[in-house]
Amino acid sequence: MKLLTHNMLTSHVKGVTKGYPLLIKATEVKVNEVEFNPKFVCRMIPKLEWSTLVQAADQLGHREELPGELVPDYEKNEDFLKKVHRVLLEVEVIEGCLQCPESGREFPISKGIPNMLLNEDEA
Amino acid sequence: MMEEAASQLERDHVHNVYDKIAPYFNDSRYKAWPKVRQFLLDLPPGSIVADIGCGNGKYLHINKEVFKLGCDVCRPLVDFAWSQGHEVQMCDGLCLPYRDGCFDAVLSIAVIHHFSTKERRIRAIKEMARTLRVGGRIMIYVWAMEQKRRKFEKQDIFVPWNPNPHLASSFNREDAKPRRRVTAQSVSEVIDNTENHRKVRSTSSVADEEDMTQMVPQQGTQRLWFFSRSLDSVFDFGSLAISWPSSRDLRQLSSATGESEGNKANQRVRGRGLIKQVSSFFSPPSVIGSEEDVFDSDVDLQKGQNDSGGPSNPTNNKGKENQGVSVSLVQECGSLALPDLISLQQEHLKQSEDQSPREPIGTEQQEGRQSPEGSEEQMEASCLRYYHVFREGELAELIEHHVEELHVIHSYFDHANWCVVAEKVRVWKI
Repeated sequence: MKLLTHNMLTSHVKGVTKGYPLLIKATEVKVNEVEFNPKFVCRMIPKLEWSTLVQAADQLGHREELPGELVPDYEKNEDFLKKVHRVLLEVEVIEGCLQCPESGREFPISKGIPNMLLNEDEA
Repeated sequence: MMEEAASQLERDHVHNVYDKIAPYFNDSRYKAWPKVRQFLLDLPPGSIVADIGCGNGKYLHINKEVFKLGCDVCRPLVDFAWSQGHEVQMCDGLCLPYRDGCFDAVLSIAVIHHFSTKERRIRAIKEMARTLRVGGRIMIYVWAMEQKRRKFEKQDIFVPWNPNPHLASSFNREDAKPRRRVTAQSVSEVIDNTENHRKVRSTSSVADEEDMTQMVPQQGTQRLWFFSRSLDSVFDFGSLAISWPSSRDLRQLSSATGESEGNKANQRVRGRGLIKQVSSFFSPPSVIGSEEDVFDSDVDLQKGQNDSGGPSNPTNNKGKENQGVSVSLVQECGSLALPDLISLQQEHLKQSEDQSPREPIGTEQQEGRQSPEGSEEQMEASCLRYYHVFREGELAELIEHHVEELHVIHSYFDHANWCVVAEKVRVWKI
């Protein structure tokens, strides 16, 4: 699971109103090399919940100087874009779980795949 | 209550089946539908797209400029998609784990026809709409009732899957328009070779084979579709008891056909009428249209049907063949959440003059359970996939009447499918 994906994921347990963002508890993390496409990263940024990204990177120990808030004129800042690229697309959680911030329910991640299926009583 | 029946049906005849047949889907011959591919290619760079019900991830490699993620309930398929390098999750289409408005586009290709009630189909569409941003677009493909040269007789059907691998090679897919998870392949396997089917099976359900033989004498290319009532019509009023009603209970069921919902006047005691009606659902095999559509077409097939059961009127209810069909169908669907199939079958047997040589449904078919060591016989018996095939205009109407946050932009027929492209709009409530 990449952090770009994590940015979209939310807990949808019945009754939960604040299911986002999910806390990441990772037991295995990988960093891959992914081709850097600055335009792509640029266009992604406005679609993200920025603080969620930073928090998630932090939880994985991969924050590495990512600013807490978006820098102005980031489109031209290749250095910044590279950092974002790394955190969004190169860092991957292979094993672990995602925890609902409100209910505490844990959704397992195994082989890189989060299992967001709910039990009958949670749906 | 209906929820349970609906979700049980989907578990047995969608999820469990795909779990078993997943390995057969990863065939390089399955390509993306051109219009779906184009939809993806037309997206602005930097878009985020979700393929809801992505199966083995067939569409996830298209267009490197956009970020794609996929989800499905079928673990083996999702695992495969992951192995191809895609971002995928396990989740349920009725309860998507994505925040509101986070996607620029959503795909739903050959997915919602697996939901067994109208209400669930609407919920699935609404869930996807929720995750779309305003201005974002969704593309939905569902199987059409109307095929190029034929039509399905009914809208709620079970499609058998034949896992027999050596039949695949006999199938010419030059022109085939493959579908992501379906098995244009499976269909041809079942049908292309009912003879092979017979020979190869040393199955516990001998009765099935005999039925197949009877109904499909020499015709290699007939199609077999098992029809059923829509859950919507069985559970008209939401107040009926669910689990395996006795035949007495069934007599009290509405015998309304189709989708007349909430029509209490129909709740009359009409046992015989109901049975006759349901029996007619178990028609002799219908010959379906072109493989290019969904299923192979062959004008010769028309003849085949005539050979096998008299007049080409598919609802002809005479003779052993039909009885054979209904019995074998019910045997296969032994533990289905469609109670009318079970009890009515018993009624039908009692009423019929001809004593059927086969055993009544005492024998439990382990329908939908995990097959031990995945033996072929087990797979065959339990691999009936449920589909609700759509009439012309049905999908667009569904959206127009029930999903106000989506506005239909295009509506068209693409080979065997009804397709809709819709845009998310902002809904103002005063």
